[in-house]
Amino acid sequence: MSSLVNVGFWLLFTVVGVIVEMLIPRIDAFVAGILVLLQERRYASLLWVLPLFVAIQEGLGTRMFGGSIVWYAVVILLFFVGERFFTTDTVPFVLAISAAYGCAFYGLHILMAPLQELAIDTGKLMDVAILQAVVIPVVWRICRYARRTETPKDE
Amino acid sequence: MSLRRLLILAGVLLIVFLGMYSWNQSTHTLDDLSTDIGLEIGGNILEPVRSLQDTLGSFWTNYVDLVAVREENEALKAHVATLESRLLATSEDLAELKRLRMLLQIPVDKGVKTLGARVLSGQIGPNAVLESITINRGYATGGRPGTPLVSGRGLIGRVLRASAHSASVLLITDPSSNIAVYTQKSRAMGIMRGNGPNKPLLLDFVPRDEGVMMGELIVTSGLDGWYPKGLPVAKIVSVEPSNFTEFLAITAEPLVDLQHIEEVLLLEQTGSPPEVEENQAQPSQFVGPPRPTGRK
Repeated sequence: MSSLVNVGFWLLFTVVGVIVEMLIPRIDAFVAGILVLLQERRYASLLWVLPLFVAIQEGLGTRMFGGSIVWYAVVILLFFVGERFFTTDTVPFVLAISAAYGCAFYGLHILMAPLQELAIDTGKLMDVAILQAVVIPVVWRICRYARRTETPKDE
Repeated sequence: MSLRRLLILAGVLLIVFLGMYSWNQSTHTLDDLSTDIGLEIGGNILEPVRSLQDTLGSFWTNYVDLVAVREENEALKAHVATLESRLLATSEDLAELKRLRMLLQIPVDKGVKTLGARVLSGQIGPNAVLESITINRGYATGGRPGTPLVSGRGLIGRVLRASAHSASVLLITDPSSNIAVYTQKSRAMGIMRGNGPNKPLLLDFVPRDEGVMMGELIVTSGLDGWYPKGLPVAKIVSVEPSNFTEFLAITAEPLVDLQHIEEVLLLEQTGSPPEVEENQAQPSQFVGPPRPTGRK
């Protein structure tokens, strides 16, 4: 994939991601994109896409700055831990890591809430975490499909 | 990389992060930066999407959903007639209010200007942990942090964070929302607190001997410095002595359906000093919300 098409793809992904987040409140639609970038080992793209995602999530959110940084750090860390034991470019791996991301999403919100003295509705948070775990594989599949059809040479 | 080095690196990163977090908590530099960039980008993406939604919605309304228009028209005509008669009935009350205000030298609040805004989305993204909405006005277009928002029925909340053209609004149902209020008839003062979505609001610190009644309207007192005096907030749905404190345990439901708001009004402070108009029959500018009626 040429650099220009790649940049265009991630900008379009960002726009669609914001719309998805508007339609499904409180979930993070960008995680699947980070997962795709990590699978493709496109670390140069990650360098500019990640700050963009962090800025948007922090800007649209109502929490103190920092939550997204920890969240995406955990996303990347879990991927590299999983990479040591599994083949990452498979559906079972994505399903497994999505479940792990859902758990991490729940845990991080519980962990970060006292820093801002926030009251957390754990039942609702659990619902959002489950939804998050479900959304990641769907967005990931669509994303991979879109990139594969345009870049057969990459595979 | 060995485990020891990995742990040292993780420790260093944690310390750097906590340092950054603490520094930002006191200066809000990164909050402001991310709001300026992220909220602006998000708002610019959401606004055309919302416009498209509205266009499609109006197309549906205008061309497809015409079946019930005649009946709706008849109902609206009847409603207009009722409102006209009610307006006539209340004009005398307005005139009396005007006279009493002049008599008591209470200035009409001309220091507030209303601005319309469109709701772009509800809670958006994983960091939207507070009950909030995003609107299409920012600090450059009248939506500065702290600006109160109302709808036709009552108070919605206040602007929490703002970029140039978009803003996040803290709703009155959020547990971190505390509003100085009083009850309209018994004039009991208290603090109105949010209790989460789809849950009644809580009115705290009202002494037991205040004679607060169910169905009474709660309005802002203006003593908190955030909201102007007299904005309707909620209607009392239960009053009983608290089991744990010396106060009443009062719950109230918001007057506005916060799950289905599309347009809002911002009450922007103009900074002009309040004046009393003597020769006009009715005030020419915004003087507060409409006089509450016996709404169901």
